[in-house]
Amino acid sequence: MRLHIRNRLHEVFDALDRADDALDVDSLDPSFRADIRLVLEELMVNTVRHGYPDGREGSIVIHLDISPPRVKVELRDDAMPFDPLSTEAPDLPGDLAWRETVGGLGVHLARSIASDIQYARDGDRNHVTLLFDQSQSEESPA
Amino acid sequence: MSLNLRSESPTPQRSMVWMDGRLDAETYAQFDEAMRDVTPMVDNGGTLVLDLSGLEYISSAGLRSLAQLRKAMHDRAGRTLLLNPTPQVRKVFEIVKAVPIAEVFADVAELDQYLDLMQKQVTAQQAELPKP
Repeated sequence: MRLHIRNRLHEVFDALDRADDALDVDSLDPSFRADIRLVLEELMVNTVRHGYPDGREGSIVIHLDISPPRVKVELRDDAMPFDPLSTEAPDLPGDLAWRETVGGLGVHLARSIASDIQYARDGDRNHVTLLFDQSQSEESPA
Repeated sequence: MSLNLRSESPTPQRSMVWMDGRLDAETYAQFDEAMRDVTPMVDNGGTLVLDLSGLEYISSAGLRSLAQLRKAMHDRAGRTLLLNPTPQVRKVFEIVKAVPIAEVFADVAELDQYLDLMQKQVTAQQAELPKP
């Protein structure tokens, strides 16, 4: 499945709903689908919010390869270069409510939940490859 | 499916909010706005209970909203307690250490027990105060 959207938040959510529908197969658990949705939301919202500081129109292409229990997702965008693996994990002492800066949470969640993330800069595009493996995610405590 | 909210304020000391659906980058503003109406219903020092049993999904945008709400309640000397998070929400809380475990309750009975205990402590503290 291939989706092509512009860098608009509502288009991100349309794409998330369509990806979620495509993942609605008997062999994939709802919690596994929620994991995938979460990672895609975090990365694409991040791209839309921060990837185009000049306000130009951009494009994001989502490619979904569903072969249970594995799902591979490729995200390509023409935003400014951003490697989600390059950021430091946020400092997480104590309680979220008392931290002044709560940036970096989304990328941290994405990295914690996906089974594997690869990043490449292909010409003028970011290319993120995500792997999700239901047989692995079942082992972690729900 | 987006986010549905229902709230009740049976006493000035306590408000309940039921959340249903998703709290994410699409719905957090709706949640923030609804909570601006609910938090003033709770007296300073009161308790806001969020029933999360119908919340099937939360992302970092939702976590930020919850953190701001908990801080706003704390600034009113109040408490925010979370009831019965679903496995997805619990998992996300755990990854980012979003909330103290002591403020998350598995069911209403556990929550009531906690609130009773808090009430008894307040009553005991008041009994110890010298009479004016």
